[in-house]
Amino acid sequence: MFATALRDLSASLAAWRLWSLLGWLEIRQRYARSKLGPFWLTISMGVIVGSIGIVYGTLFNQNLADYLPMMGIGLVFWSLLTGIINESCLAYINSAGYIRQTSTPKLLFMLQVGWRNLMIFLHNFVIVILLLAVFGSKDWSTLPIFIPGLVLFILNALWIGQVAGVISARFRDLPQITAAMLQMAFYVTPILYHPSMLNKHQWIVDFNPFAHLLDLVRGPLIGDPPSVLTWCVTGVMAVLGWLLALALTERYLKRIPYWV
Amino acid sequence: MSLIQLQNVSVDLPVFEMGGRSLKKRLVALGRRDRIAKDNDGVVVVRALDSLNLTLQEGDRVGLIGRNGAGKSTLLRVLAGIYPPTSGHIYSRGRIVPLLDISLGMDELSTGRQNVRLRGLLLGMSDAEIRRKTEEIATFTELGDHLDLPLRTYSSGMRLRLAFAVSTAVDADILLLDEVIGVGDVSFMKKAEERMLDLHNRAKIVVLASHSDEVIRKMCNKALWMDRGRAREFGTVDFVTGKYIEEQATSMLPP
Repeated sequence: MFATALRDLSASLAAWRLWSLLGWLEIRQRYARSKLGPFWLTISMGVIVGSIGIVYGTLFNQNLADYLPMMGIGLVFWSLLTGIINESCLAYINSAGYIRQTSTPKLLFMLQVGWRNLMIFLHNFVIVILLLAVFGSKDWSTLPIFIPGLVLFILNALWIGQVAGVISARFRDLPQITAAMLQMAFYVTPILYHPSMLNKHQWIVDFNPFAHLLDLVRGPLIGDPPSVLTWCVTGVMAVLGWLLALALTERYLKRIPYWV
Repeated sequence: MSLIQLQNVSVDLPVFEMGGRSLKKRLVALGRRDRIAKDNDGVVVVRALDSLNLTLQEGDRVGLIGRNGAGKSTLLRVLAGIYPPTSGHIYSRGRIVPLLDISLGMDELSTGRQNVRLRGLLLGMSDAEIRRKTEEIATFTELGDHLDLPLRTYSSGMRLRLAFAVSTAVDADILLLDEVIGVGDVSFMKKAEERMLDLHNRAKIVVLASHSDEVIRKMCNKALWMDRGRAREFGTVDFVTGKYIEEQATSMLPP
């Protein structure tokens, strides 16, 4: 089962030197010769967190010490998730030159997108550390759960990215559709507001997979350990999602060079 | 023993029109009853290779000839494993290295040395192999201290030298070339030619697509004449190029 896809995946993982280098070069290209380099991302994210914090914190009548870390950390992880998914749509399309001229394994271009966004995330993580240092956590003992949470979070982002990337190579309007859908998802996911503020519309959060994904990484950091339901939902999602991604890859891997 | 064998290989290249690229259009069409009448799915298929049978053995230096669009580049991509055939089988043994675009993946902001590593990784070299060859590549380019400057400061001739030096440092069992790699600089040309010849001699099988008769006669011992995706003739260089020139001459005569 999935012999072709798995062979490509393991060959891609083995070529980690190539995708980590390509991913890093792309970040450097964007911030060519600016003194702060990728830390411009950190600054702009910091400004966004600060201004949203003040405006929405006041609008919602929230205590800033609770609201700011919840919203700020949520935003950092949301941008990691949407960064991976949105850029994955272009993973194969933008690597057309490589795909059509050399016979490298294909999944490495997806790993390149994942790696690049992880690097950007690490720059943004400074904000998370700052927020925690200033406002603290309700319960520091939940902190270690963050690691498995992050792993599961990224595994989920990567399968969504792979599915989107393969389909986007064939259908060029998917990147736009994806971007629009993620924009909508942003508003129904508790990032700017606390889930409890939805009152009787709690189901919006319960049935929203993105809310569970976010809970997985934000919860341990701010001292709200993710519920058993969240672990189950995201775990099942990762398994089924990767099966879907592998099945799709198995079926269409050979077509990618013809599509890009 | 290096070997490439093609059995009944066909390749269909899809040519997409705007509509064929749209997921929205496809989904809307699903809901319609009169699917056939409205428009087709916007995909035209071109048969680029048509039931090709070919066996290349060790020692073969094959020149690919044929008109533009005859399938030469497609065949090279199939041999390289870039295009998996639509039907038929391909069997190969040995490390295949396609040098279709030697400047592929050079990074403007990286230094010459960093580009050597990047290009080396793209050619499938290991880190150890790259380290071992870097000095030899550096010497060959004659770029000296420039190698520690970013590529954006290079002239186009210097870029080409670097790209050529890295690409030709590769160890291939089966080497695939699209047109001969040229290096503009006259003083450098002789050195480059020798290096190219050395690369050819290290490889066990070479396939070279070229429009130049002279090059094929010099570099190859066999020739394959491609015509509309089919192998028209395969044999010794003199025989195949002779036939090819003959046909070109007759097709140019007024009716």
